Amino acid sequence: MTTQLLALLVLLFPAGGAIVLAGRGWRAPRIFTVVIGPGVVWLSFLATLALLLGKASGDFTYWTWIKSGSFEVPFGLLIDNLSIFMCLVITGVGALIVTYSVGYMEHEDGPSYARFFTYMDVFIFSMLLLVLADNFVFLIVGWAMVGLSSYLLIGFWYQRRSAVLAARKAFVMNVIGDVGMILGTFVLFMSYHAVSYSTVFQGLCAPTGIRIATCRTFDSTSLEVAAFLLLVGAVAKSAQLPLHTWLPDAMEGPTPVSALIHAATMVTAGVYLVGRMHPIYDVATYAHDAVAIIGAVTALFAATIAIVQVDIKRVLAYSTMSQIGYMFLAVGIGAYGAGFFHLLSHAFFKALLFLAAGNIIHAMKDEQDMRKYGGLWRDMRPTAITFLVGSLSLVGVIPLVGFFSKEEILGLAFSKPDDNMVHVLWLVGFATALITGFYTGRMWWLSFWGKPSLQRPVEHPHAPRLVMMVPVAVLAVLAAVGGFIETRALGVGPAAVTDFLGSVFGPPRWEGGGTEIAVTFLTMILATALFIGALRLRPWTAYAPWAQRLLERKYYFDETYDWAFVRPMDWVAAFALRDIERPVIDAAVVDTGLLATGAARGFSATQTGYFRNYALVFVAGAVAIAVALLVLRALS
Amino acid sequence: MSTLSIGGSELDASWFLLLSAILFGLGAIGVLVRRNPLVILISIELMLNAANLTLVAFARQLENIEGQLFALMSMTVAAAEAVVGLAILVDIFRVRDAEDIDDLSELRG
Amino acid sequence: MAVAVFFVAAAVAILGGVGVVSFHQPIRSVLSLVLVMLALSVIFLLLSAQFVFAVQIIVYAGAVMVLFLFVIALLGPARELGRGRLRYQGWTSAVFVLVLLGLMWTMLQGVQYRQPDKTDLNFFGTVQSIAVGLFTTYLYPFELTSILLLVAAIGAIYLSRKRIDES
Repeated sequence: MTTQLLALLVLLFPAGGAIVLAGRGWRAPRIFTVVIGPGVVWLSFLATLALLLGKASGDFTYWTWIKSGSFEVPFGLLIDNLSIFMCLVITGVGALIVTYSVGYMEHEDGPSYARFFTYMDVFIFSMLLLVLADNFVFLIVGWAMVGLSSYLLIGFWYQRRSAVLAARKAFVMNVIGDVGMILGTFVLFMSYHAVSYSTVFQGLCAPTGIRIATCRTFDSTSLEVAAFLLLVGAVAKSAQLPLHTWLPDAMEGPTPVSALIHAATMVTAGVYLVGRMHPIYDVATYAHDAVAIIGAVTALFAATIAIVQVDIKRVLAYSTMSQIGYMFLAVGIGAYGAGFFHLLSHAFFKALLFLAAGNIIHAMKDEQDMRKYGGLWRDMRPTAITFLVGSLSLVGVIPLVGFFSKEEILGLAFSKPDDNMVHVLWLVGFATALITGFYTGRMWWLSFWGKPSLQRPVEHPHAPRLVMMVPVAVLAVLAAVGGFIETRALGVGPAAVTDFLGSVFGPPRWEGGGTEIAVTFLTMILATALFIGALRLRPWTAYAPWAQRLLERKYYFDETYDWAFVRPMDWVAAFALRDIERPVIDAAVVDTGLLATGAARGFSATQTGYFRNYALVFVAGAVAIAVALLVLRALS
Repeated sequence: MSTLSIGGSELDASWFLLLSAILFGLGAIGVLVRRNPLVILISIELMLNAANLTLVAFARQLENIEGQLFALMSMTVAAAEAVVGLAILVDIFRVRDAEDIDDLSELRG
Repeated sequence: MAVAVFFVAAAVAILGGVGVVSFHQPIRSVLSLVLVMLALSVIFLLLSAQFVFAVQIIVYAGAVMVLFLFVIALLGPARELGRGRLRYQGWTSAVFVLVLLGLMWTMLQGVQYRQPDKTDLNFFGTVQSIAVGLFTTYLYPFELTSILLLVAAIGAIYLSRKRIDES
């Protein structure tokens, strides 16, 4: 089985699954969907494993999609360690989540059930296309399709107005990102006249990283512009400031959707983008710094908002926003290996948290308000344990995976030589880690400890089904022991991810010293203290109600955007409808019809039915011709 | 050049054409003014005769036989057309009394 | 002598034409038309169109007009009553026709006739000359005309057949 075929199969399995389910699934018995929906994702995972174990690499072109003069866009897939890594995350975590949703979505009726898995398979396919594409055009195709899948899945329960609005909001903000991506591609095309990664990257002269023998430095201004434009796309897709407002609303979708798209995979596409484009960002230093700054600021920003959320999924959403900020910070300072390791570990523990929360939501009849939980430690012990594992991983407690990945990022930021701005960013990250400890603790204590709330919808929540518990357990194990593949944060031990990705990014550009390890442990201890202290620290908001309001209103971003963009657009649309569409365009069409019928009515007056009238017209016509002939004769 | 030498005397070809024009005009007025369908058909025959006269006059003027041949064809066609027109008229008369052609005006609007 | 013949025939023709248009009884119109045709046939003879003269009398006046007479006999005498509905038709038609005639006359002024072809005037217009033209150069129109007659005959029979299922 050649690598070329395997790579294509990775894409074709979910695509085939989506097509089959779309065609037959809604009529077939449920077992059909249950087997095909997750099954194709598992098959894709196996294909990816085969690629991994076979140490595959290569840039394969399958056919030429567009050929116009010298402009060519091939359909090609790039297999290198970065794309294999991303595929493993997408298919592995994706397969677990899709399997889980077999149980979570059980209350849906037949066609709806199949529709869900169709959309999930479409999403998996799009995400894989995004990470496997070897040229900008197919990157954008995958990018846009992922946005579409997100829209379809957020608005899955389309009978709910709030879901439809949230889906629309997500799609519109994603499109803003798409425009940035497309413009960035145009700028790069203008300089390099190619859309393939290989051609474009060979044209750059990056100061660090892989050195290409022949490279030409182009105008670095245009590279900066391109890098910023691509960054717009990354920011929109990864819900970073300022294009973040869609992510909390996206929690309207079913919980597996939140787990897969808005935690593990789609929102990490921005990180992948910066990583894949690292030759550009290594040269475009301003854009590269912007990545790090945006990441750090978003991390802190999101963490502060998470403190006041009462919906368990919203806490997790803002937590995702914050953790992706960490990833942006990592790739922004050049610590690519650490950034992608955190991507992997975040996929584990965030998916775990979402799925475990899904168990609770499913048992509590779709109740998501944490104030109505309470005391679930007694009633849902396995879920509580797994949720605790995820929470501690998020906080960054040794020996869970979150500790190793997050602390590696912070450590590298702390110890980056000769870069004071990065040290400031480290401080931001440090503060964020402490706040993360606090809000995570609040979330856990509120849901699982204490007395059961009087407003609990269900007296004795049932234990989750096996098909829902097993993926959660698997993820809990991965979150617990996954860290041991890269313990570089402690200064010793393996660094599997960084080494694996080293073939793409080059060796780590600097190493940590001793002080950072001390700082690492300090961070962990303080964060854990806040986690525990959250049990007692609840009534802080009485001291500063204005702060509470600011955070609850999410720093008024939604209101600002509404006033700045939505209302003017609504006004323009209403104006266009009233003053342009109706009087001009509709009138032109309708009036043409009226003109035709009016003219016909006028002309029909000549059809009197009287023979003698018609004969008179004959003679008049003959007279006219005679006059014309005379005139012509006179003129000539 | 328009003089014809006929039987020893000199006639002008334009006299024939003038006569033809007058007959044609009379026929046209007949078609336009009279209301009896039969009379209209007769007036059309008068117009055709006038045209035949023109043709034969020119044939003599230019000393080319084609004018007379055309006049023969014209007569044939006139006969055929009169036959069919009369047949239609007879058919109409079966259904209703058509003395006035203004009565036959349903194809209006 | 030929001039006198022409003027007499012309006068008769015009009188006949006026009669066609003026008589109220259609039978008189038909007979006026016959008179016109006879006058015209004399003029044809003046114009060396012997064969056309004969055909005019035999076919036109002799067959077509007889057909008209038969139809009038079939349909009964009919008179036009009253003024008719289109009141302006009379003078409008007169104006137009006079204008048309005037225009035709104007067009005739300044017409340069070309040199006549060299033909033998004794042979011109005889049956032989007609036959030569009709059966050689103009054979195709001749055959088409015969088909036309056939079609007209069939059409006339069909149109005037007795309908059984008339409502």
